[in-house]
Amino acid sequence: MAVQQMKIVYLFSWLMVSKEKLQMKTFIIKQSFLFIITAFALSTSVYAADYPAPGNFQRGAKIWVDNCGRCHNIRGAKELRDDQWISTMFHMRIRGGLTGQETRDVLTFMLGSNTLASKTVVSDASSPASTTSTKGSGLSGKAIYSQTCIACHAAGGTGAFPGVPDFTKASGVLGKSDSVLLKHVAEGFQSQGSPMAMPPKGGNPVLTQDDVKAVLGYIRSTFGR
Amino acid sequence: MQTLVKTIGKTLAGTLLAVPFMVQAAPSYDSLKSTLDKLKQQMEEVQKALDEQKKQSASKTDVRMLEKKIDSAAEWKSPNTLVHMAGYASVGYTDSKNSNGSFNSGGFSPIFHFQYRDLVMLESELEFEIEPDGSTTVGMEYMTVDLFLNDYVTLVAGQFLSPIGQFRQNLHPSWINKMPSAAPGFGHDGAAPTSDTGIQLRGGFPLGSARANYAVFVSNGPELTTEYDGSGFELDGIKAEGFARDFDGKKVWGGRFGILPVPKLELGISAASGKTTVTSTEVTAGTAPALAGEAPRDYDVIGFDFAWQYKNLKTRGEYIRSKVGAASAGTSASGGATWSTWYTQAAYRFMPSKYEGVIRYANFNAPGAAKDQKQVAVGLNYLFANNVVAKIAYENNRGQNGSTADENRVLVQLAYGF
Repeated sequence: MAVQQMKIVYLFSWLMVSKEKLQMKTFIIKQSFLFIITAFALSTSVYAADYPAPGNFQRGAKIWVDNCGRCHNIRGAKELRDDQWISTMFHMRIRGGLTGQETRDVLTFMLGSNTLASKTVVSDASSPASTTSTKGSGLSGKAIYSQTCIACHAAGGTGAFPGVPDFTKASGVLGKSDSVLLKHVAEGFQSQGSPMAMPPKGGNPVLTQDDVKAVLGYIRSTFGR
Repeated sequence: MQTLVKTIGKTLAGTLLAVPFMVQAAPSYDSLKSTLDKLKQQMEEVQKALDEQKKQSASKTDVRMLEKKIDSAAEWKSPNTLVHMAGYASVGYTDSKNSNGSFNSGGFSPIFHFQYRDLVMLESELEFEIEPDGSTTVGMEYMTVDLFLNDYVTLVAGQFLSPIGQFRQNLHPSWINKMPSAAPGFGHDGAAPTSDTGIQLRGGFPLGSARANYAVFVSNGPELTTEYDGSGFELDGIKAEGFARDFDGKKVWGGRFGILPVPKLELGISAASGKTTVTSTEVTAGTAPALAGEAPRDYDVIGFDFAWQYKNLKTRGEYIRSKVGAASAGTSASGGATWSTWYTQAAYRFMPSKYEGVIRYANFNAPGAAKDQKQVAVGLNYLFANNVVAKIAYENNRGQNGSTADENRVLVQLAYGF
């Protein structure tokens, strides 16, 4: 229906301008502005597309970190709606020389990060949460860090791009209590200066309380000072 | 008889026993009236509440209409077509030694995306600019139909940004460019081609542990302008603006290959070759004879580029040389000419602040000495957001004495990418 409206608006504007016999330059400008206004009106609709196929969240995070900042400042997930991210990423596939799989991976990362913070609470040992699965995946904190956190926080814990907190700084984020950090991981958190917020559980929803505690323990023991 | 007496006796006894309780339970008239009044009042309140609720509740008709709306809206839940608008705009202020400082509108460049699933996308960027005399110009920066053939190849057809080098295809939007201006030779009519019309295949692929990207194209190619000074013709410039005609009927072939041996480091090489022809003349003195019988000239471009990001530091550089051969036939027959330009740039973000420092060196060589320019530019940017950037820069320009290329400039710009 929206496409028909666009056609009608465009045809109407074409006829109107032709009738008045304006000069070609003015004609083009008017047409272009009408076109823009129409496109603005159409772009306010909300979409939820069933394509492209899902990609890999963790791979997408790494591709996003490694590539986007090479040309422009990194854009955070919440800057656009999901449907806008789809078109944007296909545009970037062409501009940035990404493969189709890389495009799907980054898109999965962006859409997965473009969610409201989970209300799930991961608590510290002193106040166990009853609503959250506590059984761990069996993975070590190091393994979880390597799979889920490393893309943005980097292997050395110093942050893979500007704005990501440096775990190795003595006066850094690890100075906060476990309960605060566990809450940040569980619900997502945006550090000052970071282009985007860390998604809840780093974007890996299958992580349990014990997993999050394990990875926090690994971060403290490996990078903490 | 005995049974009857027993029955009467039982009844009387029961009645006598019940009387005290009946007397106790029987309310007075006033009490009953009070209870009735209360009940009546409550009844009225309930009725009032019901009436109020009825007013606010949806009727069955309302619900049916809503259901219909939801049903009709379902067509958009998973659309095959997406419409998206992006783009960028900038405003600024420029001051130089030999001209008055003035505010300017750098331009408004909306970009439209019309996407059909993950099969095809139409991309178009328009460019609106306010000229010094107040008039508005509009141009088509690019317009392509992109067909995603598979994960590694996309067919791009139409007027596209030149894939020679990095600046034009990836860095020219004002919110991306770290400086308020393009490096000399990378703007319109410089050494680096801006756009072309034809078809292009491009994409990326893994290369062992590295990654690679590529673009190959065939196009109509650029056209040439000559300068007539009253005594003869001399090549003046290459117009690589995406012509929708091929004046000499000979195509230009070219492309770029980029490799990322490690993440955040890209090295690229570009080249193009074909024919191009003089189609216009700029007269500086006398009356130029009309162009006729212009012979196609050789046209060769080569370029190298790199980009490297390390933590808060972003560096990049680019070299492009465009060479046009001689022509022995035609009104403007003359010798060949070469345009070359290069720049290198470093930008550093002072975290956790929102300030970013930039420095750029550029060197542009053109056949006419008046356009030669060496430039050292330093700038300071403030990032209101990652896509909203305020920039101030100082350009130290060295060119032919008295030419605009020799004027130092101060530029202020506010750029917004949306």
